[in-house]
Amino acid sequence: MMNPASSAALPGSATLQGPLATPGGHTTAPVSETVDDLFVLGRAAQQAARHANGGRVVFTRARQLLQSGAWRGPRDAALTYIEEADVAAAGGLPAARDAGARMLVATSPELARQAAALGMDCLWRVRYRASNSTLARRHALEHLAAVLATGQVIQGVMPTPDGEPLGLDTLRFFAECRLRFTSIPHVVADFALLGHRLAQMSLAFGADELHGPIVAERALRLGANAGNPALTRKEAALLVRAAGLNPCERLSGGVLEDCAP
Amino acid sequence: MSFATIATKVRAGEPLSFDDGAALFHHPNLMELGALANEVRERMHGARTYFNRNFHINATNVCVASCMFCSFARLKDGDADAYTMKLPEAWDKLQSRVDAGEPVTEIHIVNGLHDGLPFEYYTELLAGLKRIKPSIHLKAFTAVEIFYYHQKYGMTVEEVLRRLAAAGLDSLPGGGAEIFAPRVRQRICADKCNGDEWLDVHRTAHRMGLRTNCTMLYGTIETPEERVDHMLRLRALQDETGGFQTFIPLAFHPENNALMKLPGPTAVEDLRTYAVARLLLHNIPHLKAYWVMLGVKTAQTALWFGADDLDGTVQEEKIYHMAGAETPQTLSPDEIIRVIVNAGRAPVERDTLYNVIAEGEALLPKQPFRRTGRRALEVVS
Repeated sequence: MMNPASSAALPGSATLQGPLATPGGHTTAPVSETVDDLFVLGRAAQQAARHANGGRVVFTRARQLLQSGAWRGPRDAALTYIEEADVAAAGGLPAARDAGARMLVATSPELARQAAALGMDCLWRVRYRASNSTLARRHALEHLAAVLATGQVIQGVMPTPDGEPLGLDTLRFFAECRLRFTSIPHVVADFALLGHRLAQMSLAFGADELHGPIVAERALRLGANAGNPALTRKEAALLVRAAGLNPCERLSGGVLEDCAP
Repeated sequence: MSFATIATKVRAGEPLSFDDGAALFHHPNLMELGALANEVRERMHGARTYFNRNFHINATNVCVASCMFCSFARLKDGDADAYTMKLPEAWDKLQSRVDAGEPVTEIHIVNGLHDGLPFEYYTELLAGLKRIKPSIHLKAFTAVEIFYYHQKYGMTVEEVLRRLAAAGLDSLPGGGAEIFAPRVRQRICADKCNGDEWLDVHRTAHRMGLRTNCTMLYGTIETPEERVDHMLRLRALQDETGGFQTFIPLAFHPENNALMKLPGPTAVEDLRTYAVARLLLHNIPHLKAYWVMLGVKTAQTALWFGADDLDGTVQEEKIYHMAGAETPQTLSPDEIIRVIVNAGRAPVERDTLYNVIAEGEALLPKQPFRRTGRRALEVVS
């Protein structure tokens, strides 16, 4: 499979040169090691994202199974999931599936494989730190590439900062994930961890899905609620539209519905 | 007007027209816009990115104006959260830093329009600071304040500036410009000087040899075309006087003020505004990404969308924090340098007039960056 970013001419004068993809759907070296220009990288990632999804950005009202066995999120959520860190306390993945979780947010290949065997979807967190060396970042990406090489199906890759992220570093990493993992349909921005502003900017660097609490109505961000990252559907749609993209909500059964202006 | 035609004009060094500016605001491809703005930025400054060591004094927030976007002002002394510093209190902010050996080079002073203070309060404020540290650069009083003093104390604008300069004023900040378009100004800040009066104060200051900055408040009720009009009026004055150093787009913060029902600009809108500003204002040398209001991450990204300056260490900013800014009160020089280097840019420490104080090896940290305390750069949401 050719990486669309490498095979197509980019808008403007800058062009991303050379084959970046391997038959496994991932590149051999981090793109940011070979592509210094932020805009070449950004435009290539944006073009790859448009190629994959036609300029649509998806958000989903989701419900999370916590390690206590309780649920967080709306009862009428379109998606139910469990974070890998909560799986053991929830009694294992089969128990989580029986409780209603339909997706695993994974960081290890073993549980991802188990999730696939149980018929659950899988979202993969790639962790990075602002102070990471190139080698450490390459290692994190190659870890996921190795998982994909086994035939594991991953529905989305979610760059996840350890500690507080920096802006450009994060955007480059998003672009990198989009360009390396062409076999993964979605690059997901966790707006609860990144903040709304950085998550929105990531949409210009290859992200095409927002992950985080989407609520019907949110409390005012005052007092102890000041840091509440939840977005209403309307806020999520506005965030996407202000980035020049088309917001779209994933409903039950994976049906996508465009959000009217 | 096609983007390619505009890009050709930019590369040929031709000034862009009103229609060009409006077209850029509506251009759908942010990357394309950013890349063009970055071309201009790199043509003017290469990778150099400026910052300085400064702090703010907001001596009073008592203000007769009732700007709808403002969360800082209180109508009179005695109102909740109203304050007016005693002069020694203001001077002590510098004295304590001098005693601690902090190498600050600039104080940024902006105040409310207090109707009960004598003019000597302001001249003494400046003179006292200069007595403590004669080399400190006092960038003080927006054009709105200068115009208010002209009205209140019955002096010409030139006389106000002359007396303040005699007391120690070195340059003017760019605040108070908001949006020049009368339609918007009438609705959001009707009771302070209008756009022409704001420009006249700066024209007078430039004629007297004072350098100034200029700003634009965006994200309230103005249209993209009104932003373009604002920038072109600044550009015209710059053609006339050459006295502006830096343009600073200021994003509206919608908390604790009468416009809190508005959403405020998003990060992408911030980047777009910076890019268009760099392309339209070819004759203003610097474009500042004021991290206090943009947030550190967006400000860092803006360094690739036309901005070449991150402002400074700031310290004790009140105006934006009372409007809900979630940025810290200060960034250390090491933090600023780290943000700039991480952006792939070259940090340059400057003074207020953009004379270079340090750059290159001299600024690079001797040991890996380690943030003191547990403070985050900003709250994530």
